Amino acid sequence: MKPYHYRNSLLSTLVILYAIFLILLPFASAETEKESAPDGFQKFLSETFSWDLRILPYAVIQEPAHSTQNPGNNFLRLPRYSTNLELRPDLRFKTDVLEMLAKPRLKLGIDFWQEGIRRGEKQESDDAYLNEWLARWKARDNLFLSYGRENLQWGPSYLFSPSNPFLLDNGRRNPYLEVPGTDFARLVWLPTGSWTLSLIANTEEGRNKQPGPDPFEKIYALKIDYSGRENYGSFVLSQSEYGRSSLGFFGGWTVSDAVLVYGEGVLANRSKALYIRKDGTPLGATFQKLRQDDPALAPTILFGGSYTFESKGTLTLEYAHYGPGLNNDEADLYYGLRRRAADAFSAGGGLSGLGKLTLGQAANTGLRFLRKNYALFQYTQQNIYNRLDLTLRWTQNLDDASCQFTSLVTYSLGNHWELFSVGTMNGGSKDSEFGSLLDYQWMVGVQYTF
Amino acid sequence: MTPQEILAKADEARGNAEGIEWEIGIDSVEGGKEQHRTIRVSARSFNSLAEFLAPANVKGQKLLMLDRNMWFAKPGLSKAVPISPRQKLVGGAANGDIASTNYAGDYKVVQASEETVGGEKCHLFDLTAVDKRATYDRIKYWISKERLVGVKAEFYTVSGKMFKTATFEYKQSITIDDQPRPFISKMVITSAVLKEDITTMVYRKAVLKKIPDATFNLNLLTR
Repeated sequence: MKPYHYRNSLLSTLVILYAIFLILLPFASAETEKESAPDGFQKFLSETFSWDLRILPYAVIQEPAHSTQNPGNNFLRLPRYSTNLELRPDLRFKTDVLEMLAKPRLKLGIDFWQEGIRRGEKQESDDAYLNEWLARWKARDNLFLSYGRENLQWGPSYLFSPSNPFLLDNGRRNPYLEVPGTDFARLVWLPTGSWTLSLIANTEEGRNKQPGPDPFEKIYALKIDYSGRENYGSFVLSQSEYGRSSLGFFGGWTVSDAVLVYGEGVLANRSKALYIRKDGTPLGATFQKLRQDDPALAPTILFGGSYTFESKGTLTLEYAHYGPGLNNDEADLYYGLRRRAADAFSAGGGLSGLGKLTLGQAANTGLRFLRKNYALFQYTQQNIYNRLDLTLRWTQNLDDASCQFTSLVTYSLGNHWELFSVGTMNGGSKDSEFGSLLDYQWMVGVQYTF
Repeated sequence: MTPQEILAKADEARGNAEGIEWEIGIDSVEGGKEQHRTIRVSARSFNSLAEFLAPANVKGQKLLMLDRNMWFAKPGLSKAVPISPRQKLVGGAANGDIASTNYAGDYKVVQASEETVGGEKCHLFDLTAVDKRATYDRIKYWISKERLVGVKAEFYTVSGKMFKTATFEYKQSITIDDQPRPFISKMVITSAVLKEDITTMVYRKAVLKKIPDATFNLNLLTR
């Protein structure tokens, strides 16, 4: 829970932003609705200011898995049901040399618990925040400087984006949940139409709070992009303030009208992730940063391709080898330690605290995926009868045989309303990656766009 | 004039290689369901950026075409996704239909004859794509002999099967070299397979202007 004065300050900020938004609204509306040209300041606003607003009431139903990660749902305390209302206005201001963007957010929710120590409880929450904002100055026609809180993403992959050293989540699992923004300073130079050089630094963590005790780490990156006639490629060289370095890369090729192939990867060293070391502690092992001084480069590589059928549907396949993930022996150690931590946590007494600490580390090892080999199969079809968008996605952990099936369905109800459903089912044993947290999750709601 | 010069003249009435900005209203009927979209297009040579303006539930979506590399972004989507040229914009409109036309550069005339369309004498050119950057493999294109604008087209697959037809209207005017020229105002696309599937594109607010590289840069695309 946030301190009262902090929440109050955020709410005040949001109220002020909404007031500005409401004042500017009639001028911005004139841009699209009025043909007669307004004068002076009003004309300036109508030409430079634009906005849209999405309102999302939705419910989430989920069933926590009975696993050693979350024994009896007493550790993670996941709610069974939640109902939410989100207001997501996007405000934009654009002149020839200056572009500004703000995405204030208001979220209200009620969570209900049915399992574990919080069984029968409900909790209301409210949160007001600025998820993204940006100020970008065009110094020259081919030189741009920007600062702001962004969800800075790149690369062609669906499964994850290993070439991005800043953000672990590429936001593609559930497009109705926004990825928290991080504060970035960027310089973008376009020496030619085909080449782009970017200098990027994450200056603050913004809303993208990383789990675990580690402090926020600044990362500096040089990104070089090339775009050709039917192909593109990028390199991302990055260095963290604590000495970790990485070389990310991605590229793609439009083979034909229907076929795309792409790849993405990274070579990185000095991982901050937690690995397991056997020792004489009460649980027989501990999580430690075993590779934080290891200069060896661990490769992560992803290959993908898609085929678009004449009937409009698109099939996508991806395979990823995640170098830092656990091998079979390391996974046995991981699950063994997790089982002992769960037993200690559930038993109470002197070892309960250690069990809780260890379960927390098991849940947030710092690894994007737990194991090494993954496959993704996805079928997407847009605009079915000019109404329905459908995505079916299967993610397979090839090492422990656990899997995740996701369905994204949206149905247009006219020009403003849209029904949406995001369903996720996890399969696998309780000592497997996808079987550890949730058996299923179903998010259903409507989106009104103004 | 040679057939290629006639094609170039007809292209002038459907865009400009240096750059054009226009707004397109698209009405599509597919499987009996209607759909409307308004998009603003900035196009130059083989690059274009389409921004969806209406209706509200698609406002802010963007389609960036960098030659044959295509990316789709929308406000709710965390990052732009790569899409193939085959993925349709709306209804029967291919992504290439929204950009300016460069048939003189993209196609060669393999056969020329004459025909009358709607009482108007026309050149009839059989065009094949110079390379695979072109949106279509083969086009039969009727160009008015008097106005030097395309009035009708048939589009064919590689196997030679016609899959859609289009008619064009020119009720706008723009100035090129201080001379007023008719400019495209409407394109009606009809599916050759399902005749009731019709897509109408109304072009308005056309402005010829130099579009900078930054407009087509994925790093600068805001969602």
